[in-house]
Amino acid sequence: MKPVILICTLIFSLSLFGQEKLNNLQAPTSPASSILDLQPKVVLSPKTYQTLETALFSSFIQDFRPVIPNDFSLEFTPYWAKNHSLSLEDYLYPKSITDQFVRNLSVSLASTQNFKLGDSAQSNSLAFGWRTTFYFGNKNDREILNDFEKKSDDIRKVYNRITIQAEKTGDAIQEGRSDNDKKASFLLDMKPVIYNTLYRVYNDLDMAEAMTEKILLDCDTLPEIDTEDPFTFIDLFNTIVDRNLRGEVVFNEYKSYIKERQGLSFDLAYAGFLNFPSNKFEYAFMPRQSLWITPSYRFRGDYDFIVISGVLRYDWYHEDYYRKYFPDNIVFKNNLDYGLEIAARFRKISLEFEMAGRTSNSYVLAGVDLQGNDLYRKEHNSDFQYIGSVHYNLTDQIILSYNLGNRFELIQDQNSTLVSLLSLNFGFGAPDKNILDLQYK
Amino acid sequence: MCKPYRYNNLSYTVADDSDVYFTVEYLSDGNSGLTSVDVPGTLDPEIKNAGKVFIGKGKDLRGEATYVSSNIDNKVSQEDEIRVKYLINNEELVEHHNLKSEAERITVILKITFPRP
Repeated sequence: MKPVILICTLIFSLSLFGQEKLNNLQAPTSPASSILDLQPKVVLSPKTYQTLETALFSSFIQDFRPVIPNDFSLEFTPYWAKNHSLSLEDYLYPKSITDQFVRNLSVSLASTQNFKLGDSAQSNSLAFGWRTTFYFGNKNDREILNDFEKKSDDIRKVYNRITIQAEKTGDAIQEGRSDNDKKASFLLDMKPVIYNTLYRVYNDLDMAEAMTEKILLDCDTLPEIDTEDPFTFIDLFNTIVDRNLRGEVVFNEYKSYIKERQGLSFDLAYAGFLNFPSNKFEYAFMPRQSLWITPSYRFRGDYDFIVISGVLRYDWYHEDYYRKYFPDNIVFKNNLDYGLEIAARFRKISLEFEMAGRTSNSYVLAGVDLQGNDLYRKEHNSDFQYIGSVHYNLTDQIILSYNLGNRFELIQDQNSTLVSLLSLNFGFGAPDKNILDLQYK
Repeated sequence: MCKPYRYNNLSYTVADDSDVYFTVEYLSDGNSGLTSVDVPGTLDPEIKNAGKVFIGKGKDLRGEATYVSSNIDNKVSQEDEIRVKYLINNEELVEHHNLKSEAERITVILKITFPRP
């Protein structure tokens, strides 16, 4: 193995020739864009059937003629196109696998006019795909969600009761029926309401007293009440109450947890693409189809910084197409990628280790027997890579990365498989890596 | 911030002896919340998420206004709006709607009077 040491400002690239090797352990967010290797500037995400129709019509029809749009990507989640009055509980605990499949299903469409064939000729390509996720919660997950729900409910009980009393006082001030039209008297009037409500909900005298005092202290910064418009003051007062109750904090923590729940999840995705080598609709191939199965397990508690992911990807290639349009590439018909990633993410540093393998096979025509039957021989290839990475966030926009490991054999130089790569990655506010799967591109 | 949306001057005509039920219906997906009702007197029911509660006879709701504070949020990333309907005795009182890009945590405040027929 010859060492290759590179210092560059590009994200680690392992692009290979013809058939790409496994370089991403996740099922892609947009399978259609992924199979075309498209990184569109804009991903259309219509939320209703009407906006979907508009997006398709405006993109695929130009001057009243059908076209394959260039650099086009669209994601549509059919279930979320209309309301179902689905409760949060039903959302978090679907009753069946079918519910999960339908609710998490997203359909993707992508196209390009610049799909390069082996001789660098440009052609039109249209890709389609879908993706869904299955989640299997556990006892800990339910306990965490119940805890969030209890905290949220307690906050709402206190907040609602204080809000109602403040509204009553606000109406009375506006109608000239209240003596509490000065900030000091308003707060004096609210003090027992705050204290009693806190005590009734939390059953803790010290806590109720301390928080009441803190809320009143924070209200020192509020302006005087405008008797013509007391609700501007009341909205500011309610904001202080909410801040002390940690309403926003609990909401954000709860929301973040829902996005990354503890337990086992399976991402399932499929994509295929049509290529029109002569740019005529009547002459089309489906060169490649892919199926991803990505299980991952997220830990919580003391080990919540660890994520384990696996991947199983099956690629089917149209051999005749590749022989004709990519004659320099070695293509196998059936390809199975498999891999495992272990990631530990801390505040500034993240450590990742991935192992990935590929096994490919094809049946190649070897001749004809005496009876005139075709004879085939099986061609087989396999490869394996393992890479460890350390990422250090210098700032929110700059990440220093080091990768060390053994990568897949290159076609040009099979002995050069050692990877030792130091890179500095800059972020400029472009679409994030979760949207475009850029992390290993 | 928990953004307030006020609906004042709401009114529902009801006879003295009629039972009055207040209903919260979530229309958009994944809403979560608690609605507190403050009626004249000591009965101050609450509704967790969506549901229906008895808030008194028509005659019990005269005089002062009834206040409702509905603290709702939506944590579901696929949903882009909060849409809630409030009903009295199964008749629509008001429907609230806001985009989540405007606010993900809201308080809907209703001020309702119950005049005689």
